[in-house]
Parts: sequence; structure tokens; C-alpha cells
Amino acid sequence: MKRYIFTIALALVALVASAQIKKPELMVIPSDVWCIQNGYYTEVENMGVTAKVPNYKQALQENIGLKLAIAKLNNLMAERQFPLQSLEQTIKNLEQRRMEDNMTVSKAGNELSESALDEVARVAKCDIILELTWEMKDFGPKHSLVYILEARDAYTGKSIGAASGTGAPSMSADVDVLLEEAIVANMDNFNDRLMAHFQEMQTIGREISLDIKVFANNAAGIDLETEFDGEELVDIIENWLQLNTIQGRFSRQYSSENVANFTQVRIPVYDDRGRAIDANGFAKQLAKKLKNQPFNIPCKVLVKGLGRAVIILGEK
Amino acid sequence: MKKILLALLAVAFCLPSMASIRQKKADKDTYEFRYEIECAGNAIEGTYLVKVWTYSKKAALAENQCRKNAVHGVIFKGYGGGQGCVSQRPLAPNPGIETQYKDYFNSFFANGGEFQKYASILGGTTETVRVGREYKVGCVVSVRKDDLRKALEAAGIIRGLNTGF
Repeated sequence: MKRYIFTIALALVALVASAQIKKPELMVIPSDVWCIQNGYYTEVENMGVTAKVPNYKQALQENIGLKLAIAKLNNLMAERQFPLQSLEQTIKNLEQRRMEDNMTVSKAGNELSESALDEVARVAKCDIILELTWEMKDFGPKHSLVYILEARDAYTGKSIGAASGTGAPSMSADVDVLLEEAIVANMDNFNDRLMAHFQEMQTIGREISLDIKVFANNAAGIDLETEFDGEELVDIIENWLQLNTIQGRFSRQYSSENVANFTQVRIPVYDDRGRAIDANGFAKQLAKKLKNQPFNIPCKVLVKGLGRAVIILGEK
Repeated sequence: MKKILLALLAVAFCLPSMASIRQKKADKDTYEFRYEIECAGNAIEGTYLVKVWTYSKKAALAENQCRKNAVHGVIFKGYGGGQGCVSQRPLAPNPGIETQYKDYFNSFFANGGEFQKYASILGGTTETVRVGREYKVGCVVSVRKDDLRKALEAAGIIRGLNTGF
């Protein structure tokens, strides 16, 4: 009898735990404009064009103000039960793993097999990026701090909210003191916007983007214009989305015979069995439909985080 | 002689009830948002520093009411910014929440109620201005907004950032 009660209790605990919506991961990064203005960038040659790419590692190693700002933001978010992912730790973890993998060889002398995609995928990803910018402005003998903190959805690129302002002019306070003051003063307004975003997500679903791609010259010989009962595959996918998104909310941004991009796809936060789902879980439901009769299309689902999924058709 | 004693007794009985009437009037003013709240500078972490202007026929009563109004303002009104101050939205931005949780707030804002834990008047900041037949009293109040928000979240009145996850 005791065993039954224990099993039932365990099942209930598991159900409650799975019914929680997957919590987004947040990470603070310095904005591109701040990195470039302060000289923390590397120049990369890309198809004849020189681009400035932010060098976060250098910024974290050389700018104490940035470390202070990130620590302060983390402290304030942890206070609201929303600790941030550490950018510095993420960079360190990535380097550590890279070093370990380079040194790992089998007895036969073979190195670890890892695709470039695996390496990108295993980097600790965040779902919401908090971009931080600040600059000191001088007004005669006084100076004040201009501060911007903007939250962006890492997958859709949409701005979730921002807090910005210019602090009170001061003659004596240094940049670190003014920065801390600005963070503390603006945090509640920023969190209000973040909360509105979370509430919206819980009411009208999580917004994701879904990409459908096709393996070139695939063995199944299909593309998105292949017809099933006189209906093109892309339209079948669209009909499925219509039925399975919240209030049929999604838009087809672009489609061709090889690619279809769906954006602003509002997916339910729980599946029909009450389990929390994200973009990956949603894409797997669609892939399951396509793998089954009458389509029998081999599919590969790539994990891109909570808010983005890619399904590649034609091969596994 | 008897008449004088009777009159004195009557006055003695009336005094407490007059004070109670004034207090009720002050509370009514609070619930009807008849006070002004503005930013008084950047506060230390976890607090807001606000200046509250309260109206009353008794200056002393208005000063006492300042703390209540400051907490009320932080919960339901918010305040504007400017001159280096950042404007803040109310902790309970949904209109009607005060009516929805009337019993809770009646006890919260009662004399000697829980609101006292979250506000303290900064010494030497009181200003009194006579406006017509009443006083307008201004005090700088430090409101412990982080603790206040946690109390409202725990009571289920406002949502936490973490709610639903």
C-alpha cells in the first residue's frame, strides 16, 4: 500500500514539475556600440568587407566597469529569482571544453569527431540577451552618465523592452558610482517590461521562428513543392501550423522549393499531455506528422534553443 | 458650576471622536489619491526616496499621514522623474486591484498597520505650507520597495517576475 502511495506521490510531483513553463535563460552582454567605442573589437575580413566584431573576452578582462555592471545586474535579477547566465563563465567553459577536446585522443590515436555545428550548439545559449550600453557625457565641469539596457529575444531578434536615461549631473562621482546608481534606478522599470513579456508569453504562447529546409539531392527525392493528393508540401505544413498554433498566429516570411521561414509562430507553452514544450518540442510534433503516412518523409530536427527550430527534410 | 463641569465632560468626550473623524478624513484623502508624490533623489538599493505632500486641517496629522501616503503612492500611483531622477511605475499597475483586495488593504493601511514597516520619514525634511483653510505638509520618505514588493507578491496581490516558471 505504502509503495502505491509513494508511486502516486512521485507521479504527481513529476507532473507538477513538468507543468512549469520552461524558464528563459538571460545573459548580459555589452552592446556592439559600447565595445567598438571602447576599442574591444577585432577586425574580420568577410568577402572583401572589413567588419568589426566585439571582443567580449578582452572587454571583460580589461574593463572593471563592465564587470561591476554585470555583477550588479546579476545581483538584482537574482533578487527577483531570475539569476543571469554569466558571459565570462560561458566564454571560459567554451575555451576549457575546446582545450579538453583537442587533447582527447583514442588509443589508436584518433581525435574526437565533432562537426562545426556541434561546437556552436553546445555553447551555453541564452534565450534573452540584455544589451548594455553606457557613456559619460560632459556638461562643463559636471558629467553625467547615459545608460541603456535593452532586452532582445535571441531567436526572433525582437526588442522586449528597454530602460534608458541620463543620470543627474555630478562633479565628483566617478563612472563606476554613476553606473551602479543608474542600474539600481532603472531596474524596476526594466523588469516591468520583462514581466509584461513573460505574461504575454503565458497568455498567447511562446513566439518562435521555424525554418524548414531541404537536403539537396536527397534520397527521398522531395522538396517543398512536392505534391501529396494535389497539395504542395509547404501548404500542408502551413495548414498544420494553422491548426497547432495559438489562434493560428504565424506568418510565412519566405518560401521557395528549398526553404520556408515561418516567423511570429505562437506555440502553446504546454502540449496536449500538459508537458512544457519549446520550439524543439513543437518542431518534433511537426516532424512526426511528416515522417508518418502518407508522407513518409525522413526529417532531422536541429535544436536551436527555446525559441528557434529547424527541420531539414529528405534525410535523417 | 454643574453646567461648566457638564460642558467640560462633553468636550472631553468629543475630543477623541474629533481626532478619529480627522483621521478618517485623512484616510479618505489617501484612498482618493488626494496627495502628491514626487521623486526626492536617488535612493540606496532596495528603497525609493519620495517627497509626499499631504493635505489636512491639522499639520501634525498630515505629517503622520505622509508615511501612509508614501506607501500608497508607491503601490498604486508611481511617480514622475526628471532632473536625474528616474520615473517609477506603481508596484500594482492594474487598475482596480485596490478594490479587488479591499480587505487586505484596509488592514494593511489601518492605523498601526503593516504599512509602517516599509516607510520612514527622513528627519528635518518636513515643510508646512498653509493653503486656504488647511495645511499642505511635505515630508521626504524612504520606502523599502523591495520588501514591500515581496510582501505583496507573497500575499498574491502582484505577480513576481518568476511567476509561472
